[in-house]
Amino acid sequence: MELTNIDFDQLFGMSDDSNPLMMLIWILPIILFVFYGQRIQLYVTSGEIKKALKKLDGYKVDSRSELIIYLKKNLKLDDDPTEKIDKFLEYFTIMPVDMDPNGIVDKVRHTVRMREDYTREHIKLLSPQINDLELTKVQTLLEIASSLQMIYKIVNHMFLTAKKQNNYPLILPLQMLLPFIMEQAEAMSKSVPAFKTGQPIGDGIGPMVVGKIMLDCEKETIAFQTILAKTDFDGRKLFLIKAEGPGSTVGRPAEALETIVSNSKIDAIIMVDAALKMEGEESASVACGFGAAIGGIGTERFQIEEIATQKNIPIFSIVVKQSVKEAITLMTKQIAEKSNDVTSQIYEMIKENTKQGQSIVIIGVGNTSGVPQ
Amino acid sequence: MIFSKKKIIIAYTIEKCSKCGMLKKREFIDGDCLFSELSKCNSCDGTSIIEKIFGEELES
Repeated sequence: MELTNIDFDQLFGMSDDSNPLMMLIWILPIILFVFYGQRIQLYVTSGEIKKALKKLDGYKVDSRSELIIYLKKNLKLDDDPTEKIDKFLEYFTIMPVDMDPNGIVDKVRHTVRMREDYTREHIKLLSPQINDLELTKVQTLLEIASSLQMIYKIVNHMFLTAKKQNNYPLILPLQMLLPFIMEQAEAMSKSVPAFKTGQPIGDGIGPMVVGKIMLDCEKETIAFQTILAKTDFDGRKLFLIKAEGPGSTVGRPAEALETIVSNSKIDAIIMVDAALKMEGEESASVACGFGAAIGGIGTERFQIEEIATQKNIPIFSIVVKQSVKEAITLMTKQIAEKSNDVTSQIYEMIKENTKQGQSIVIIGVGNTSGVPQ
Repeated sequence: MIFSKKKIIIAYTIEKCSKCGMLKKREFIDGDCLFSELSKCNSCDGTSIIEKIFGEELES
């Protein structure tokens, strides 16, 4: 191949009207992007992340101040709670070692419950005369403020590390995850008014449906913050379980189920819960399926599955689809209007899958804020 | 966003008479709680209970 007689005019397509300046205009940006492309992208992405961080900081500060205002307004406090609240917000939880997964569920449950018990006891120390309803509200508001603080800290750490190292690839995972993180953080921030005023949230559709069925029944406490009611339907015995409302709690449905199963023969379990909808799915659509419909860190689900497997009990689920934001903010009209539909689906499911004389456990899963029984 | 409208969520309470089934929609007030019994129904002597509490979005 002859390299000495290359016609550059022809190569760059500049023919007669070409000049060296035009060539520079073409070539300089190419050189610039080859050597400094990542750095330019880093600056552009940094701008976007800085904006998100500012929003996250706002959510963090607002949730903290709303909590402090709520405490001062609703609880009779002797001292200013600000210092103690700031200390609470800094608490962290170290999850158990997962190198040997055998028995990890018990360890996770122990760690999480220990944290919950500690928080509860310390809120009581802040205001000894606090009632259970206010206690659950404060506990939830504290969890929200603490989670928002943690999210801000992690995002800020990842951003500053990437900037310090001038490392563009390091910022890429953060850029990709940021929209999801922002969606969660915004939802948490917007859930504060609903919890403060004791309004039902989207996640409360399960307790709302079961709570309505158990309205006229005799109720008893079966596990910590968990209520049981017994009733009959079409020759079947129904055991209804939900968290104790109207406080903001999810109760301990697995412990309740364990107690029921140890005393009675159960033929089916029906769980009613809110489920995250997929993109494109209609909000508040109702779907039926199999398996334990329960969120959280997984310890409750594990225990329910364990009991069902040991006793060979089928688990059916009815879920109401919703977004993250809908699940933890004030219940939407569409979701609230599905409660009667879900109730009739429960009765239909009972008739289709069980026989007369059998016993069924119905669990209303979710946060029961603003939903009594 | 310059053109996006600010969305306000208003909480509503739906009261239902346990006797005649008449529904009444009003704005949520502090202390409203699902299934709690309220005053007498306007059209009969039945008692109204809170049937639903939900939020509706308003664009401003």
